[in-house]
Amino acid sequence: MLYDLRRADLPIKWLVTCLLATLGISYVFGALMVSLYAGFTPERVAATYGGRAMPMPMPPETTMVMEHPMSMTEFAKPEVHEVDTNLLIQDTHVHVPMYGVIAAALSLVVAGLSLSQGWALALITLLFSAPWLDFAGMWLTKFVSGRFAAFTLIGGWAMGLGYVAVAALAIQQMWFRTRGVDR
Amino acid sequence: MNLLLRGAAIAAVLHVTPAVVLVKRPDAVQTLLPGADSYLAREVHLSDPDAHRLHQLVDWSPDDGVLTFYSGKAGGTGVGALTFARVDTPHGPIEVAVGFTPQGAVRGVVVTKATVEMKAWVLEAVGAGLVERYRGLKPGDVPAGAAALAEHTGKLAVYVAGEVDKGVARALAAYGAFYNHVRA
Repeated sequence: MLYDLRRADLPIKWLVTCLLATLGISYVFGALMVSLYAGFTPERVAATYGGRAMPMPMPPETTMVMEHPMSMTEFAKPEVHEVDTNLLIQDTHVHVPMYGVIAAALSLVVAGLSLSQGWALALITLLFSAPWLDFAGMWLTKFVSGRFAAFTLIGGWAMGLGYVAVAALAIQQMWFRTRGVDR
Repeated sequence: MNLLLRGAAIAAVLHVTPAVVLVKRPDAVQTLLPGADSYLAREVHLSDPDAHRLHQLVDWSPDDGVLTFYSGKAGGTGVGALTFARVDTPHGPIEVAVGFTPQGAVRGVVVTKATVEMKAWVLEAVGAGLVERYRGLKPGDVPAGAAALAEHTGKLAVYVAGEVDKGVARALAAYGAFYNHVRA
């Protein structure tokens, strides 16, 4: 194969390493953002995308009012970061294309690795399907059931897994694997 | 499995829009309901026709169908009410707290949240006197903060003022139509 990262010139190997490092940094800060705005449990993700538990499953026939006392402490309670439909449309519009670009960049790295065709296809599929699952989980959480928050979590896990797999294989093959490689 | 899911969440929501708190809610409450020592949350659960009516007024109704107002009293005397209104913009959400006097006029507006991207624009708009433009407005009035700032600030501050205008318009419409006209 003409495109083989094991045999690539040093500048190409360095380019791929820098790309992976940059994406790695962005993933780490992405994790920090999760801790700040969405939380680490299916319940928190469901609350973020599904909204607060509605006291009434359906709109009332006539507008109703409920009142309860509030303390200043309650105003100070940490709020759930809620993503409503408009914001989810915006998030999908902004992030899905960027996820596509990231998946494509990582897939190009995969194409240059020494892998069987089956493993390469599986990795590329993982890289693209993870964000699909991630966003599908958000939409299903919002409109079907909070249980689909697990889809978002699994999609996120798959994104992280895909990145780690590609990065580890690429670094190992580019910088540490010398046996059986013609230079 | 739970550990797996927790770990997954770390990598999961890389796209959460980063919001920054400009003014904490308790501080906004103390500013807009001065002197209050007790508070009441008034949740108005909208029927479909009322949600539609609100939508026709301001091209918006709450996603969960609930408008929440907070009223304050100082020693048993009402000092007014406030509500938090959120506006989703292409740059992320903005939240404004709009406070009303007992007579139903806007006492003040506080921009409580924005995104990292918009923070500087919000601060410029507020620094140019945006929130003072809303004082005294009553339901039925049209907020015009953006127009007032047009000559005095940069385009992005004017843009963000337009979004704050929307939040104030939503609060005015919700307050005017539902705060005093539905019995608990």
